[in-house]
Amino acid sequence: MLTNLIFIILFMLGFYALIMKTNLIKNVIGLNLMEAAIFFWVISFSDIGGEVSIHKFGETMGKFNDPVPQALTLTGIVIGASTAALLLTLIIELNKFSGTIDRDQIEELND
Amino acid sequence: MSLMNIELILLTVLPVLIAVFMCFSTNFNRHSRNFIAVMGVGIELALVISLFVLNFEAVKNSNFFLQYTLGYTDTPFVINLAMDNLSLFFSLIVTSAIFLIVIFSTQYITAKENIYFALFFLVLASIQGSILTADLFTLYLFIEAITIFTTPLISFEKTEETTRAAMQYLFYGITGGVFFFISMILIYFNLGTLKMAAVAESFALISTPMQLTIIIFFLLALIIKLGIFPIHFWLPRAHSACPAPISALLSGVLLKVYLYIFMRLFWTMIAFDFLVELHLSDFVLNLALVSSLIGHVFALQADDLKKMLAYSSIGHIGMILAVLLLNTEAAFYGGLLHITAHLMMKSGLFLSSGYLLQTTLSHNINDLRGIGHTNRLVFAAFIIICLGTIGMPPLIGFVSKWYVLLAFLKARHFFGAFVAAAGSIIALIYYLRYISHAYETVKEDGKSIKEELLSLKGFFSSTNKMKSVIYIFTILIIIFGLGFKILEMPINTAIFELLNPEKYIELVLGG
Repeated sequence: MLTNLIFIILFMLGFYALIMKTNLIKNVIGLNLMEAAIFFWVISFSDIGGEVSIHKFGETMGKFNDPVPQALTLTGIVIGASTAALLLTLIIELNKFSGTIDRDQIEELND
Repeated sequence: MSLMNIELILLTVLPVLIAVFMCFSTNFNRHSRNFIAVMGVGIELALVISLFVLNFEAVKNSNFFLQYTLGYTDTPFVINLAMDNLSLFFSLIVTSAIFLIVIFSTQYITAKENIYFALFFLVLASIQGSILTADLFTLYLFIEAITIFTTPLISFEKTEETTRAAMQYLFYGITGGVFFFISMILIYFNLGTLKMAAVAESFALISTPMQLTIIIFFLLALIIKLGIFPIHFWLPRAHSACPAPISALLSGVLLKVYLYIFMRLFWTMIAFDFLVELHLSDFVLNLALVSSLIGHVFALQADDLKKMLAYSSIGHIGMILAVLLLNTEAAFYGGLLHITAHLMMKSGLFLSSGYLLQTTLSHNINDLRGIGHTNRLVFAAFIIICLGTIGMPPLIGFVSKWYVLLAFLKARHFFGAFVAAAGSIIALIYYLRYISHAYETVKEDGKSIKEELLSLKGFFSSTNKMKSVIYIFTILIIIFGLGFKILEMPINTAIFELLNPEKYIELVLGG
């Protein structure tokens, strides 16, 4: 229950930063916060209190945590990091052209 | 495992290899690099065509199926590539269009070609992967890869406009990807599998509210990626900022790939009955029709040629999505035919607009002034493709729009029929506005059409490539318009897959 609450708060916080804030870097942070919330939820949901799922020879495995969500999350983190890097690069480029990283000001300059 | 199954993995691996090679080809001269690019995509096309020709009988009898499994086959989580008639059809049209676009860009792109082609081939690999893949997670990866690799291509010419467009595109693309990820993970927690076929078998076991959540997040992700009405404003910017071949790739090819993913998800994986049961199909249908109307109306006020074409794309994609959601055989026929038609017409239009306005940086309507007199034959081709988009009789646009209209009327969906017809009329107005601007000045400094025809002797000489590609698109539009029956067999087999998803499910799980 607590994890669900934390997930919803983090996700909404990220969504708020993505939609309402005009600072582009804050938007990137918001997007990453959304992703982080989902990864947190996935990992906590797949944790059933079992062993780490590494197969050891000669031992029988007891209850173990599902490794697939962890693998998905790892891949998701890689994608999230690369998109954040790409977005920040574009923001730096944009700052060179227009001298600001405010979303609304950039729109105003061009219209 | 025969040779043909290995071709499936080659389709995705070969472009990646060429991309890596292109990345390190800084010391190559232009000629050999272009040769390798055209050869690479040519081999790709040859592979797809050979799959079609060698399995012609199987395709005809609708029992064509190939799959390739990466890794150990006995574990439940393997990367699985599968090809049925639907994916073969899409692979075929998409690869042919990309082949022509690559030939065009060998002459159009004059700076930083190695980076351009590296990114282009990575996009091609992701497109092939997302068409062929049979499990959700790989699909997610390939969709994200398409978004990430197209972003640097949009901001390829570094100006403020393109950077802004690329950033907006990436923000929306990633948000769509996040929604897709949520749906995917919900499916995994409920069913414990990510194979589309296995999900399809047991999707009915999930509780109804959870089904609704999953479907809504998938719909959100695809609506963002397709540029349907409430979230469409990133599309005209992104599709008009990039170089002409990339506009053709995004507007002509990529939107069709997302439509394919839509079909794969909502007909094969989640049976369409669930959408009807949850009253979502009607809602999305009407949304798509409103989006279509809005796209056409916004195209009227766009003063930028490429922006106008992008808005018109929104109009067409909305109409195709709406007609597919009718879920009848006639609707699938019209939809798939219009997908093919729009692929050819929009790529042709973007490429010819890139050729006509290659000297000017902006694409404002005033830059078009007098262009009809300086580039007579190319502009004639442009007009023919425009007429095709509007829906003039001997061209493919007419045939496809006719079947779309027929499908709407058969289903007694008169709002849809109205939108399809009104779209054509509005399109006539905004295309005529541009065409009349192009003939405004009466300067006779260009060659006459006869002279241009005579100078076409070297059809594929290196200086004529761009023109030749535009003419090929024009000729294809006329040929398919006259003989659209050629397309009937592949389209009907693709429809068979949409109507009978059990075959795909059974074969993927069986092999």
